Amino acid sequence: MLMRRRSVLTWLGGSALLFVAAALVLPFVGPSALDWSRVWERQEPDWSILTNLRLSRTLLGLFAGGALALAGSLFQSMLRDALATPYTLGVSTGASLGAVIAIVFDWHMRAGVVGIWAGALAGAGLILFVVMGTATRGGQLSSSSLLLAGIAINSVCAALILLVHGLTGMSQSFAISRWLIGGLDAIERSTLLVYVLVVIGTGLIVIRQGRQWNLLAVGEAWAATRGAQVKRALFHGYIAGSILAATTVALTGPIGFVGLVVPHLLRGRLGGDDRLLMPCAFLLGGVLLAACDALGRVLLAPAEIPAGAITAFIGGPYLMWIIRRGGTR
Amino acid sequence: MGRNGAGKSTLLDIIAGLRAPTEGSVMLADRAIDEMTAIERARTLAHLPQSLRADLSMRAEALVLMGRYAHANRWFESDDDRRIAEEAMQRCECLEFRRRTLATLSGGERQRVFLAACLAQRAPVLLLDEPATFLDVDQQLQCFNVLRAEADRGTACVAVTHDVNLALTFCTRLIVLAERGVARDLPAGTALDDPAWLRGFSARLTVEQSGSRPWVRYQ
Repeated sequence: MLMRRRSVLTWLGGSALLFVAAALVLPFVGPSALDWSRVWERQEPDWSILTNLRLSRTLLGLFAGGALALAGSLFQSMLRDALATPYTLGVSTGASLGAVIAIVFDWHMRAGVVGIWAGALAGAGLILFVVMGTATRGGQLSSSSLLLAGIAINSVCAALILLVHGLTGMSQSFAISRWLIGGLDAIERSTLLVYVLVVIGTGLIVIRQGRQWNLLAVGEAWAATRGAQVKRALFHGYIAGSILAATTVALTGPIGFVGLVVPHLLRGRLGGDDRLLMPCAFLLGGVLLAACDALGRVLLAPAEIPAGAITAFIGGPYLMWIIRRGGTR
Repeated sequence: MGRNGAGKSTLLDIIAGLRAPTEGSVMLADRAIDEMTAIERARTLAHLPQSLRADLSMRAEALVLMGRYAHANRWFESDDDRRIAEEAMQRCECLEFRRRTLATLSGGERQRVFLAACLAQRAPVLLLDEPATFLDVDQQLQCFNVLRAEADRGTACVAVTHDVNLALTFCTRLIVLAERGVARDLPAGTALDDPAWLRGFSARLTVEQSGSRPWVRYQ
């Protein structure tokens, strides 16, 4: 924290550069090689594969990874817990439950991704309400009870997902399992546009409050007596993090670990200043997820490994390494 | 001062606006604490909590700059803020580890950094919950010297402490809490005249003259 101005600019610039480079390069990675000259002359099918499929998928990966990493670093600062992510707080699982129910009622057949989106947001909103209601006592929102309530609600939602899954017919059951693995698919341009705008808007609001998250990372009493409005900050932070997580989960399924791995890796290198950490986590989290997805496209081509599985392969061992080293934050 | 559980920290928390009192209200210069905005309160009161997490990955200097939050309405602190933070660190003798992360500092070093952050806040009232915890003897004296100097500049310093002799040496007024209230409230200069105040927290203490000032001994 408080690094020299030059190294701040190097980190921010470097991350932004990687983000843009990933957006330009990764669409060309895939099972069928694209021919440059055909792309240049906008000939089919290469042009369509690039613009309709790979580009939108890469952009989704970049922004989904960014949103999850940003939500992760936000929750970690707010709750002063190395393991606080949209998953441990129940928001992602709530969104998953909502999305699974939407699939059961065939909303995705009628309304496309908007149907799943609505389900996920409703699920996340409901869980948000329940978790915050549980953790608030006497008008005080405490971070440790938020985390505990999140973990409790997590297991309830996971059980409900299994229940719903077991009660549905073959085709829906297949759609649910495919969705639950978590992965990136090409989505419609209008959906992507709305999603990107939501993520950028929410992300900017969160990052602008960097000093406040820094204060909260030290302690609630510390933040309050330095001049931060703790209750309001926690409330806003929890909502912003939930929006980031729920909109992402609705589009990608529950992609694990991006929100855990990226902030941790960066915190070790950059220090704990959220003003620098959050934008870098966003940019590099996006690069990580998009790169994992590109890797999944070519590793066992023509078969695809979902990005969720690849991030889990990376994230699982990383988490064990953190535990082994005994280091949090 | 007072026994464990007498309500010392609770009282400081209430004055700082961290907890609501069950009855009554805290007035500061004719204004109720709970009517102030968070920023106004932070410009008036700086509070050093008793225990803060030790595993912070931010640098000492950045933590001290947090004391400037209520003064700087911008994303990064100004050069003025930096100057004030630097001066505070100098006074608390922690400038040398300004670039180290807090997790790598010892408990006493960390405590000095937190104290510097409170000084950098430049509030007219300083509330300190056991500021000398984790400090070695020299640093305890140094800490109270800093507070004494701060008080001489016109800052109202309220410190919770278990060290009676530190209190007798550096403080002007002793308040002993017991049984849900103020048991004793006396000027430090009269401590020798009326040793009954010591009974407020232990029967094993006696006070006697040592050189020019009173000194408390354990029996």
